[in-house]
Amino acid sequence: MPSDLSSFLIQLFSGLSRAMMLFLVASGLSLIFGVMNILNFAHASLWLLGGYVTFSLYQAFSIGFGQHGFLLIPAILLGTVCMFGIGWLIERVLIRRTYAYELPEQLLLTFAMILIIGDLIKLIWGVQNRRIFLPIEPIEAFGGFINPYLFIVIGCGFGIAAALWFFLHRTRYGKIVRAAVHSREMVSALGIRIPAIYAGVYAMGVAIAAFSAGVFLPIMPIGLGLDMDLIVQCFAVVVIGGFGSILGTFVASLIVGILYSFSVLIWPGGALAIIFLILVTVLIIRPWGLFGTEMRF
Amino acid sequence: MPVETKPVALSNETEKNSCIAALHARAGLSGPVIAALGLFSLVVPLLPGEFPTIVGVEILILSLFAGSFNLIYGYMGQMSFGQGAFFGLGAYATALLCRWYQAGSTDIGYMQFFLALLLAIPVSALGALVVGFFLVRLTGIYFSILSMAFGELLFYIVFSWYSFTGGDDGIQGIYPPALLRDPHYYYYFTLAIVAVATFLLWRISRSPFGYTLRMLRDNQRRTAFVGVNIRWAMLLNFVLAGTFAGVAGALWGPFQRSVSPTLLGWMQSGSPVFMTLIGGADFFAGPFVGALIYTVLNAYVTRFTVFWPLTIGTIILIIVLFFPGGILSIIDGRLSRNRGSRDS
Repeated sequence: MPSDLSSFLIQLFSGLSRAMMLFLVASGLSLIFGVMNILNFAHASLWLLGGYVTFSLYQAFSIGFGQHGFLLIPAILLGTVCMFGIGWLIERVLIRRTYAYELPEQLLLTFAMILIIGDLIKLIWGVQNRRIFLPIEPIEAFGGFINPYLFIVIGCGFGIAAALWFFLHRTRYGKIVRAAVHSREMVSALGIRIPAIYAGVYAMGVAIAAFSAGVFLPIMPIGLGLDMDLIVQCFAVVVIGGFGSILGTFVASLIVGILYSFSVLIWPGGALAIIFLILVTVLIIRPWGLFGTEMRF
Repeated sequence: MPVETKPVALSNETEKNSCIAALHARAGLSGPVIAALGLFSLVVPLLPGEFPTIVGVEILILSLFAGSFNLIYGYMGQMSFGQGAFFGLGAYATALLCRWYQAGSTDIGYMQFFLALLLAIPVSALGALVVGFFLVRLTGIYFSILSMAFGELLFYIVFSWYSFTGGDDGIQGIYPPALLRDPHYYYYFTLAIVAVATFLLWRISRSPFGYTLRMLRDNQRRTAFVGVNIRWAMLLNFVLAGTFAGVAGALWGPFQRSVSPTLLGWMQSGSPVFMTLIGGADFFAGPFVGALIYTVLNAYVTRFTVFWPLTIGTIILIIVLFFPGGILSIIDGRLSRNRGSRDS
């Protein structure tokens, strides 16, 4: 019999894993907005595309090398690399042309991308949900049963968060990106090629999202329409945390993910309403978010 | 002195001409074209087959929907991705009252039907008031995000409230009264309502309030500086836009004989954005022309392929990248792309 404490812990872990996915998608969204001032409506659609690509790669590997769960690792890595390339291409071919335009045109461009990507997925993969079955037995922990893969997911999330922090704060390129968040003109005046930074940041955001989609494949089936669910929650996360702030995005993901998970327990269907309540409160009291700076408003 | 009066008269003449030109630019279409379109809209039901009439009704309803959106986008300068919510609220208000009056049968009286249509006005206005109360505190990107978020929230409420809205099944079997079941009559009925609503929209756009909205679009701080209560103006406009969208939605349900939660969804919210963009947001006629093109394309493209989003997405992409002013700005080459100098 699961006790109250054990169901609490299990809910906490499922919330944490959800928070990790939100963070991985929202951090890219936040970085892209921070650096390029582009709100990438299509981010979750690219996340979904990344999931499908990883799924197909895993299937191809399974046919080539026989069924084995560990083949998921190269599939995720290769899928991430593929989506990095696709992100780079999208920035080069489409997004780049809209920097001179105003906000509505940029929003429309990425909005049109949602439609195109969604339909391309339908065209290539059909309408069924896809998931990968890994032969993992739930282990007994905290007086209940829990899928050990959850811990891998949470570990991956923290790992990427740490890597992202290291990249942004300890490497030369990361420092350039952070400088670009503050002032593009100044960075460009120092002789750094801003266009390359733009393409790199966009591709990196897409790649991180694709990575998270791949990691989540064994515990969450992907299907059409999930991208709209996710993008709205990611907007909530990014707005609550503050645009361009990775720390804010991380904290907000934890808040939203864990709240979501617990509200399913207490008030099913009310999860979204609670997130919205926080979102609206933050937007009205502190529109630049918990960790953002007022300057970027 | 006669020598001086002549140049003065001349300059008056040129001023008058430029004023007329500017007036055309604002409408987006010249008088004869509007008259021709108006005449054509009267004879659409006489075309052979029911298909043109059905598409015609859709065009009329959706052009009102797009026109309501352009109050927020073209005039007030904010991008709303949640306009479908009010379209859906209007549709559901009418559908629920119709179902109540019908009480299981397919009969409904004329008075009851008109009452059901009228109910859409307060319901969508109230919805827009509540959403707008929060939205008008924000501008730009935050306005867009929150409008989309509210739209999705309302969608989920309708989607999951099985006992009241029927959830994802929607409500089937909403019938207009006997005479209006014929698409031809329903077409003229819709035409009359949409014509009145369009006239009202036109009056709003020419009123001092309409110019206040343009001022809000161009510079909010200055607008506040000259003594306009910008929150109130934005809220009033948002409620007006929501109400017009609600009226459009009210007409939609009885025509399709059903309503479903997708009427509040993001795709529905996106369609007026696309229509307005295709037509040209800088013109009053933009959303209407856009609705015409969008709906006709939709009606004929979906005969050949199920990949309508792919098609419309590609069209939007091309328009954003190469014709950012919309179709009317290509026809009307006088308009510069500069947002500051435009006058819709």
